[in-house]
Amino acid sequence: MSDNRTLLTDMAAGLFADLAGKPFDVAWPQVAEAGFSTLLVPEDAGGFGGDWADVLAVLRLAGLNALAAPLAEPVIAHWLLAGAGIAAPEGLISIAAPGQRVPYGRHATAVVHVEGGMLSLYHADACTFDEALSPAGEPWDAVSFTGAAAAWAACDVDLLALGAFARVASASGALEAAFTLAIDHVNTRVQFGRALAKFQAVQQAMAEFSEEAAAVDASAAACAAALDYGHASFEIAAAKLRMGIAVDRAVPIAHRMHGAIGFTIEYALNHLTRRLMGWRSEFGGDAFWAERLGRRVAGLGGHGLWREMSARTDRIVG
Amino acid sequence: MQIFPLHPFRPEGDTPALRQQVRDLVVQHEANWPVELRANCWFSFDEEFSKALGKAGLLGMTWPKQYGGHERTLLERYVVLEELLALGAPAGLHWIADRQTGPLLLRYGTESQREKYLPGMARGEIYACIGLSEPGSGSDLASVRTSAKKTNEGWRINGQKVWTSGAHKSHAALTLLRTEEGSERQAGLSQMMIDLDTPGITIRPIIDMTGTHHFNEIWFEDVLLPHDALVGTEGNGWKQVVAELALERSGPERYLSSHMLLVALIDAVGPEPDAPTAQLIGRLTAEMWTLRQMSMSTIAKLAAGEDPVVEAAIVKDLGNAYEQALPRMVQAAVDADLAGKSDLSRLLSWLLLSSPSFSLRGGTPEVLRGIIAKGLGLR
Repeated sequence: MSDNRTLLTDMAAGLFADLAGKPFDVAWPQVAEAGFSTLLVPEDAGGFGGDWADVLAVLRLAGLNALAAPLAEPVIAHWLLAGAGIAAPEGLISIAAPGQRVPYGRHATAVVHVEGGMLSLYHADACTFDEALSPAGEPWDAVSFTGAAAAWAACDVDLLALGAFARVASASGALEAAFTLAIDHVNTRVQFGRALAKFQAVQQAMAEFSEEAAAVDASAAACAAALDYGHASFEIAAAKLRMGIAVDRAVPIAHRMHGAIGFTIEYALNHLTRRLMGWRSEFGGDAFWAERLGRRVAGLGGHGLWREMSARTDRIVG
Repeated sequence: MQIFPLHPFRPEGDTPALRQQVRDLVVQHEANWPVELRANCWFSFDEEFSKALGKAGLLGMTWPKQYGGHERTLLERYVVLEELLALGAPAGLHWIADRQTGPLLLRYGTESQREKYLPGMARGEIYACIGLSEPGSGSDLASVRTSAKKTNEGWRINGQKVWTSGAHKSHAALTLLRTEEGSERQAGLSQMMIDLDTPGITIRPIIDMTGTHHFNEIWFEDVLLPHDALVGTEGNGWKQVVAELALERSGPERYLSSHMLLVALIDAVGPEPDAPTAQLIGRLTAEMWTLRQMSMSTIAKLAAGEDPVVEAAIVKDLGNAYEQALPRMVQAAVDADLAGKSDLSRLLSWLLLSSPSFSLRGGTPEVLRGIIAKGLGLR
């Protein structure tokens, strides 16, 4: 755990709460100004010197407040560039994982791409974007690299997995926020002469909702610990898939609890649930991670699965 | 409010060596175990194996040495439990004594009760069961009516317990009784440790839908117990039972009961499964991995002196749902011959029939979700 965690989360909590509901052109300059992009860059290289648990804490808060600005993307891009010894350009740097759209690509001054063991940095003028929007209305742009890379280096990082971790981290916050909205709603909304929360059927559904939020919370934290240890491919595959299952189970409950009000554009719930639905597919969906994890486990053999899982937690402790 | 902040699980000592100790013991005994015995294995019996665990110092692990224990930590014990379950080791004979009866006697029992029962439990030789449910009071425990009347000679017990798992294999039953005549609900209840060879006790089997004798009815007809059969304080039985149930809910047995079927599935399809089967294995693994993180976090909180009531209920409810869905998901995905002789066929048949019981032991989903809702401020 980084020493500055509390300072960091206090700052992020305050800023992201202020920026909740604000569009990209208001939100991004303030996120950039606050310096979050260099969260993982070592202090001696001019960064914050944080760890993946710090990244989780900040992304969780971004998800909680439905921040309409890129955060995981510049954090990962700056970390990769620092690791490769490549100077980071000014402005927003986003990421292009193999086969994936580039979040906020049209607003980026540069894009970091990792594929086949090679990291490449492309300036915006070397990229052509096919612009589109995510279900939450955020820029989700497909990129073609039409110019030459400005810099490159060998890199064995799985960028798709890092993107997947980022979405699990944000989802843990968004699920908490959706859950809090639902709790407030069922405690205050009166129907048939009593608060919705007094109905057993509502209590049972809310308990199920909490279980799904809990599962994503726990798996995100376990992934961050594995990333800080240095190997998290197994954990991220499991966590991204579990997040997909949680979205599948929890989002319908969130909307069911709210009735029609939750389906309106004015009400805050849609900013959370639209993101959750998008993140489930982004950086590999359920089927992709299920197959990747399943093939890995099949290779371990029946009892090999347990040996691998237990060894992976024992070494983090050891 | 963050619902499930992950608590770090950091057992003392050499955890890989502890795992290896359990794995070696399993290898020494597993030739005698048909696959059905290895599924839901904390409900299946091998007396020789229970004694071997006792001899190896793996029962009563957290108890004081003066009572035959080994003064190890809750987390070390957890490591042993998850190994036994993941490897499908029949651990049902000693499970209740090791998990809750022993700890409850340590907390509330008299010196003579501790000396009488604990060393034998730690050796894997004395087994216990739990006398809670009665006809007409299943999940609603506060409605129990079996009575204990204080007389000059001792306590006179009359009534009936039901659904008592393993009573026919146990030496003693920690039993919830109404000690105050005319008392209602949670008041007037006490716990007593009852030796099951006491005159006036009749144990009758209830055969479950798998054809197995696991449940029992226990009849008490004017059973005379010594005064010192009382465990803890007279009238404090409800509080003691609630504390006991918390010990029941947080363990790895709440998500690993079907694990041997996942093992068999992986072995049956080999290292290069087709895409749908790979996805099924991946999905089951992802759920199991997540539950393991949550279960470890909960026990670590308990070990740190916190009282994770909501977390334990969440882990049990999600875990039961997973271990119950696992056989159904495997059945839906593979072309299974339910009368076949392969491990996969036998485990699938067995678990399809036995898994309905997984969510009724230790609190049904509805009860657990009620506890969670209360913890969330909804009740």
